[in-house]
Parts: sequence; C-alpha cells; structure tokens
Amino acid sequence: MAAFIIRSIFFKMITLFIISVISFLIVHLAPGEPSQIDPLNPRFRKEDIARYRAAFDLDKPLHQQYYLFYKKFFTGELKSFKDNQPVMGKIWERFLNSLPIFIVGTILTWCLAFPMGVGAALRRRGAFDQATTFLSYLLISVPGFFLSYILIVLVVQGFSIGLPEMRFALMGLEISTPALHLTIAGLEVPVLGIRTFGQENAPAIYQVNDRLWHLVLPSLLGATGGIAFLSRYVRGQMIEVLDSDYIRTALSKGLPSDTVYYVHALRNAALPFVTMFGLLLPGLIGGSVIFETIFAWPGMGRMGYEAILARDFPIIISLNFIAAVLVIAGTFVSDVLYVIVDPRIRL
Amino acid sequence: MVKRLLLFVPLAVSALLLQSYFWVPTFSDQVKGSEARLRQFINASTGDAQILNPVLLTDAASGDIADMVFNGLIDRDENLNYRGRLATSWEIYEEAYFVPRPGGPTAQALRERIERARAAGQPEWMRNVAKAEVIPPAEEKGSLAVPRRGQRGFDQVPFTVAYPERVKITLKEVDQDLFDRLKALLGAGAFAADPAPYLKGDLPGPARQQALAEIPLAEHNPVITFRLRKGVLFHDGREFSSRDVRFTYDAIMNPANLSPRTADYEPVKRVETPDRHTVRVTYKRLYSPAFGTWGMGMLPEHLLNEKALAEEARRLQRDPAKFTLRDSGFNRSPVGTGPFRFKEWRSDEVIRLVRFEKYWEGPAEYAEYISRIIPDALTQELAFYSGTVDSYTAGVHQVERLRKDPRFQVFSGLAFGYTYIGYNLRRAPFGDVRVRRALTMAVNTRQIQEFLLYGEAEDITGPFVKQSDHYDKSVKPLPYDPEGAERLLREAGWRKVNGVMQKDGKPLQFTLVTNHGNEVRKAIAVAVQDAWKKIGVEVKVDLVEWAVFIQKYINTLNYDAVILGWRMGLDPDLYQIWHSSQAGPGQLNFVGYSNPEADRLIIKIRQEYDLKKQVAYAHQLHRIIYADQPYTFLYVGKATGLLDRKIAIAERGPGGGTRYRKITATKTGNYTFHFNKWLKLPAVPRFEG
Repeated sequence: MAAFIIRSIFFKMITLFIISVISFLIVHLAPGEPSQIDPLNPRFRKEDIARYRAAFDLDKPLHQQYYLFYKKFFTGELKSFKDNQPVMGKIWERFLNSLPIFIVGTILTWCLAFPMGVGAALRRRGAFDQATTFLSYLLISVPGFFLSYILIVLVVQGFSIGLPEMRFALMGLEISTPALHLTIAGLEVPVLGIRTFGQENAPAIYQVNDRLWHLVLPSLLGATGGIAFLSRYVRGQMIEVLDSDYIRTALSKGLPSDTVYYVHALRNAALPFVTMFGLLLPGLIGGSVIFETIFAWPGMGRMGYEAILARDFPIIISLNFIAAVLVIAGTFVSDVLYVIVDPRIRL
Repeated sequence: MVKRLLLFVPLAVSALLLQSYFWVPTFSDQVKGSEARLRQFINASTGDAQILNPVLLTDAASGDIADMVFNGLIDRDENLNYRGRLATSWEIYEEAYFVPRPGGPTAQALRERIERARAAGQPEWMRNVAKAEVIPPAEEKGSLAVPRRGQRGFDQVPFTVAYPERVKITLKEVDQDLFDRLKALLGAGAFAADPAPYLKGDLPGPARQQALAEIPLAEHNPVITFRLRKGVLFHDGREFSSRDVRFTYDAIMNPANLSPRTADYEPVKRVETPDRHTVRVTYKRLYSPAFGTWGMGMLPEHLLNEKALAEEARRLQRDPAKFTLRDSGFNRSPVGTGPFRFKEWRSDEVIRLVRFEKYWEGPAEYAEYISRIIPDALTQELAFYSGTVDSYTAGVHQVERLRKDPRFQVFSGLAFGYTYIGYNLRRAPFGDVRVRRALTMAVNTRQIQEFLLYGEAEDITGPFVKQSDHYDKSVKPLPYDPEGAERLLREAGWRKVNGVMQKDGKPLQFTLVTNHGNEVRKAIAVAVQDAWKKIGVEVKVDLVEWAVFIQKYINTLNYDAVILGWRMGLDPDLYQIWHSSQAGPGQLNFVGYSNPEADRLIIKIRQEYDLKKQVAYAHQLHRIIYADQPYTFLYVGKATGLLDRKIAIAERGPGGGTRYRKITATKTGNYTFHFNKWLKLPAVPRFEG
C-alpha cells in the first residue's frame, strides 16, 4: 500500500508538471492579448503597448515567462492583470461564493438520485420506472439555460396559458366552446443573485433563509444533470445486483424482501459510488458559467469565463492549475477509497 | 431502516430548502412600505467594474462609476461645448521659441525687428503679439522611446539639447501659422535649420537620428491657465486644490503606474501651480485635442502621495518599493469630489454609492446610486419588469418591445461611432475610386438600418461625430442605385460576362471579412454579399474570431474588405485613422488611405485652437474623405435607454417649491445629462404642456 501511494504520487507529480506546461502554452499561444493592451485604441502608442507587455512579463521568452509565473504563483505574489488584486485572494473569495451551490447541489443530487434509481430498479418496467426514465432523459436533453429561464419566469411572474372561446358551425348547429384559462400565479420573489438586495438590516434568521432561498434554483438546476445521470447509473447497478444468484438465494430462503433489497443488494450496488466521492473534488473549482451568469451569481465559473474574455492570464492559468491538482487528488482519493471498501482489490 | 432513510432524507432536504421561501420579501413588498426605494437608483450593469481609479481604468463599467465619484476640471455641456467643473474658467495663449541661424542676425537683432513691427502695428497679425524677448542659452533634457533591436520593446534613451540664445514670442492667442508669418517678415535665412550642433553627448546611431528629428528649432508652446473653483471638498472633507491637479498629472506620467492615459498627456511640457487655485499647463507643441483631456477625474493627493502609499504598503506587509498606485486599496474604495460617495463594492454583485451632501453643485436628489451586476440580458429585462432595477442596457429589440408600454419611458439618441466597410486600397480593384463608389451605391443602407437595427440608426457620411459641429451636414450620401453602380463599373472598364463583372479576363471578386460573434455585422455581410451579387460582384464572406481577425488580417494588412466600426471621442483629431503616415502594419489607417490634401487638413485640425477655423477645416476634410470613399459608411447607431416612467426631473424653486419635469434627452441624445436632479415618484406623474 505504501509503495503504491509513493509510486502514485510520483507519477501524478509528473502529470501535473506536463499539464502546467501545456495549459501555459495553450493560453499564451492562442491569439489575443490582455484587454489592457488594446490594439485598436487610437490613443495607444507602440511604446505604451510595449510598456504593458513588459510589466506583464509578456516580452520575455516563453520559458522565462513560465518560470516567473509559477514562481509568483507559489510565493503568492501573482496579481490579476485586470485590477492588480492578488490572484489567490480573488479565487478564494469566489470559491466561498460557489461552495454553497456545490454543496447543496451535491446533496440534492445524491439524495434524490438514490431513491429514484433504487425505486426504479425494484419496480422494473412499472409506471414509476417509466416515469423516472422519461424524466431522466428529459433532464439530460433539455439545455440548462432554457430550463433556467423557464423556471425564473415561472417563479417570478407566474404562467398563464389560455385557449380563447371558439365558435364554429357544425351541421347547421352553432357550437361555442368555453374559454379555457390555466393560470399559475408567480411567487413574485427575488431569485437573482446571492441574496435579496437591501436586506442587510434584517434579523439573522431572515438573512440565513434568504441566502438559502437564493440557493434553491441555481443549485437545483446545477443538480439536474447529475440527478438524471446518477439515477440511471444507480438503477443499472441495482438491477445487475438484483439479478445475481445470492439475492435469489436470500429471497428463496425466506428473508424479508426489504432486508434483501435494502441491506444485501443496496450495499453491493452502492459500492462503485463510494469511489465517485473522490471525483467530486474537481467540481469544487468548476462552478458553472451558465447558471452563474443567468442567476447573476458572483462565483468561480463567471470569474474564469470573464478572465478568458479579458485574457487575464494569471487567473486563467491559476484556475486551470488548481483544477488539475484537484482532479489528480480526486483520482488518488478514489483509488485509495476503492482499496478500502473492496477488500478483494490488492495494490 | 434504510428504506425509510431513502424516503425521509430527500423529503427533509427539500422541505428545508423550500421553507426558506416564506422568509423572503416579495417584489411588491420590497417596493411597498419602503420609502427608501424611491430614493435609490438601481442600474443593471452587464459587467463588473475593474478598477475605480480614473487614471487607470479602461473599461466602461468602471468609467460609469468613476463619473459619479470623480469630477474633472471641465466637461461638455448639453450642446457639447466645454464647461467648467472643478475649474471655473481658463485662458489659452501661446509662447513660441526659435533658434536664430548661426552666422545670421543675432537673437537680439531679430527681437528688435519684431518689436519695431509690433510698435508699428504692421503687419496685421502683430496685434496678436504680446511680447518678444531674448532668452539666454539653456539646456533642456528629453527622453526617447527607441525600439530595441531584435526584440519587441522599447528603451528609454535620455538626451540633452544645449540651446544657444533664442527668441521667445508670447502671443495672446494660439497661431499655428506664426512661423510662416515670421519667415515672411524676417526672411527664411533667419532661422536655424540643422539641429545637429545642439545635440549633446554620444547617442547610438538610430537613437541619434530619432533625437535629431525631435529637436524643435522653432516650437509652439500653447499654455492653458485654469482657475480652480474654491471651496470644493473631497468626500473625506479635505479641500480640493491645485496640488491635486498636479498630483493627478504626475500619477498618469509615472511609468510605474502603467496608466493607459499616458499618451494623452505626453504633449505636456510642464504643469505649474502658481497658487492653490491656479494651474498652468504648458505644451511642447500645438495639439488642440489635449484640452479635452482635462475632463479626467481628479485624484486626492493627500490619500495617494508617496507617504500614504508607503504607509499602506507597511500596513499590508508588502514591499513599499514595489507598491504603486495600481496596488492601492483606493482603487476599490475611491474618494473623489463627485456627487456620489463610494460606499460598498461586492465583486460581481453590487457597487453602492451614496449621495455626497456637500457636493459643490448641491446634493443630488437620489440618496443612493447602485450598480447591480447582472450579466445576462434576459434576466436584466426580467429584473427591470419587476422594478428591482431602474435602468439596464437594453438591446434595440427589447426597446422596440416596450416602446408602447405605459409603465416605461424610452429614449434614443445618436451614438458616438459608426459602422463601415473598409477597402484595402493597396489591392486591385479598390485602387479605383469608381469601383468604391459603385460598391457603395449598390448597398441599401436604409434597409440595413431598418431591418437589422429596428430603425435605431441613421446614415452617416463622414468620420466625425454626427451631432458635433465638425460633421458637415451638407454632405449628401450617395444614392442607393444599383444601375448607376453598374454604369460606374462599366466606365471603369468592367464588362458583365455570365452575370459577373470582368476586366482583362479577371472576374470582380474578393473576400469580405468580419469578426465572429457580432450578429449585426454577420447579417450585414450577408445583405451586402447579396446586393453586390446583383451588380455582378462576387463576394466570399469570412467570419473570424476577434483576436485572430485583428492579428492575422488587420495588423498584417492581409484582407480585401472588412466590416468594422469605430467608436469616437468628440475631439476631431483623425491623425491615427486617416493620415497616410499611419498606414503601416499594426497601425490604424489599415485601409491605406492617402490623400495629400487630407493629410494637410488633418494636421491643420489638430493644431488649430480656434473652434470656427477648426470646424471649417473639418468640413473640408469630411467632403474629401466622402468623395474618396475609402470606406462605405453604413450607419451610426443610436444609444437606446429604458426607464421607469415614475422617474422625473425635480426642480427645486428658491422658495422651497418643487416642480417636476419630464426627462428629455439633450440635443445630442444624452438623457442622463441631468441625472443629479432625477427622482422617482410614488406614481406616474402627469406633466402640463
């Protein structure tokens, strides 16, 4: 085990180094310069542009830039091109903003996907199974931004669908249909942003619940894909286990079916998911560009996206590097977890 | 047990999340019962500000906030004329110097001849001369940005010029023809022509050439004297004075600060502060657009001087030697003299400003100015409907949708900028003006304006801001006339073969490039392609990502025709975009426009301090450029705005009475001009008349 850990860490360090080089090169070799250097601004002289490039180290050969970049990165001196704020501070601030969405989203995913998947597997081809299958594929195929707009409009403004009254003649008879109206009143509550605007002086309980309410929609939308995918996966695993001999044995020797399903079968079906916890780690840094933009959430995804648009190299590369570290750490954790939960595996 | 858990946990989580709904105030509640909301102006901004420091910012979002927090010495009034803000008045005069030719008449002799002419009042222009004097030999130091060999970048090379005795002439008004007039009076032989003897020290070859080219043997030094407003306070209570103006200038010029405004102030020779309320700026040469740069927001010296920055660096445990204005916390909590005081900034969420009660022009009506950052246009619109924002960056289609809505008021005014098709004049067939005219005449600009921009655009015929005096309104746009266009092409020697114009066996075909991601330009490209096809011109359309577009096509001059737009300032300086010296790779006259008469006028305009004369030159230039058709000028867009109809202008009478007036746009289409008098009323007001 110890040998495995050491070997694994060694190879992962090499991978990390290669990633750092590649991501650095991609960012620097792609066309476009930091937005501070605006080639189409008549007010900029050649020497001004040169001054900026020198201040951002962009005039040096790439290998020197690479060295300088990571030196500043590890000493915490790295500053954003945009506003000269330390990069780590900026990332940490946004991380704290994105974290609640991630946590609530993950909780929602796991606590909704498991009952759905298990339920569907136990009622194979029943109504519940068909319904959840349909729902899963619907959630996977409808684009998230579309769903967000629909939900926002629904929650804020409500919905009104109407069929007008129609008159027509049928075999000489005047027929008129009644007008049909379906109206769902909107809740008229704020859903944008991280908290309600102007609630600074409200009691703490109001503020806490206000923050919680603002989390509901974005984290639910962020979780839809996960719920759909994970519930299908749980269903598949569960069905596989239910078909195995020992379950049939357990059932035929007269054990209560609940014990068989929820103790014997579920435990084995859930095994592969333990390892998925490790893979959750990279999600910490991702944030979601789409949901954060639509819900005006000041999170990590938006910061990364805007950094890319403004070619704010320090932010882009730092985010990339941290994400790489988390992915590598995540796979490492899941490897180790696998060993721990499945004693058959020896490394 | 597990079964129950699987049921209970999801239900509990959902219930916990959904119960939070009951603690949140509803929209109507938020506005009801809270008078404070009427005192807040909430603006929805697409992007967050980057840096709230007027000498460092480059983005529009920061600019909007900085305009509220800071004041410049001057700005533009409703009719786009300059008016005083922190300055109450100013005067502009000129000091001119020249070196007499070695071996020719001495400086003293020349001065006496000028004095005699002045006393006699002959010729006429002598009336403008206030004084002629001889100044003793002096050394002046300068510095050059010399391109580094083999590498990208520049070296700063200092040099010294040792001037002999010179003649100094003080003029009451700036006169760009002074030296021509003096030559007529004193003879061309009176002036030194070779700068080499005056350059001191050894400079490497290319640097020496560059320095010689920059040594002025006869120089105009325009001087602007600003009188500052007394009793203006910064938000922290300190009084504004000439020291702050001087400091702001120094901050811009300090290379460590990397200010994007350096080029604007490069023509400044020196800034002096004779007393607390006077600032005198002397320029190295004639450059009239420089006056407008004093609209720059003024920084408080006492918070940002070296001592204050060193103090801050120590507090943050950073190296004081490396700690510049760029690193200061001031950029995230600015202090200025403007109508609103900075209160709070939560990144990508909100920026709050509150009214400054001691504002020199009287406090604003709104108690708070809030900028909420909502990046998505559709959610901005939803927030606007529900009254949680008062104003947002509405697209033309959104304005169109809400134009008739009784809850809102709509504004639209001409923007400062235009969209055009630029032709690479170095390439056939664009060298022929008849081809360019034909291409313009084949394009139905009205159709583009109406269908692509919902009518929120107008024709434009020249490179100046359409609502400014410099724009010549008498220039008539070329008519939309496809048959006329074909005739012109025939005149130029083209013949239609199988529906395609040909000359010497070659078809008339080229590629039209524009940047990816701009839907309007993409649609224009298609419309134009179709219009040109009708007159027998074959065009391929290419969409390229912005950075690639600039680097691989524009900067390397490697294209046939492009669709692009210029955003303009109000100053009429066209040097970078239209002067023939600016047509190299990476420069802005990328179409390669070159017309000696236009070059002459461009120089005249940037050297002219008299508005009337400048306008006359500008009109001439406008006509020349339009006749040459280096661009097909497509349209000038309109800036549109949407506001709650409950917002009105409050006019407080001297007796305490208040009258409400409808918000109207100024002549130039700026509806926020009177923002400090805006107020939100509880109900939609009715206005008389």
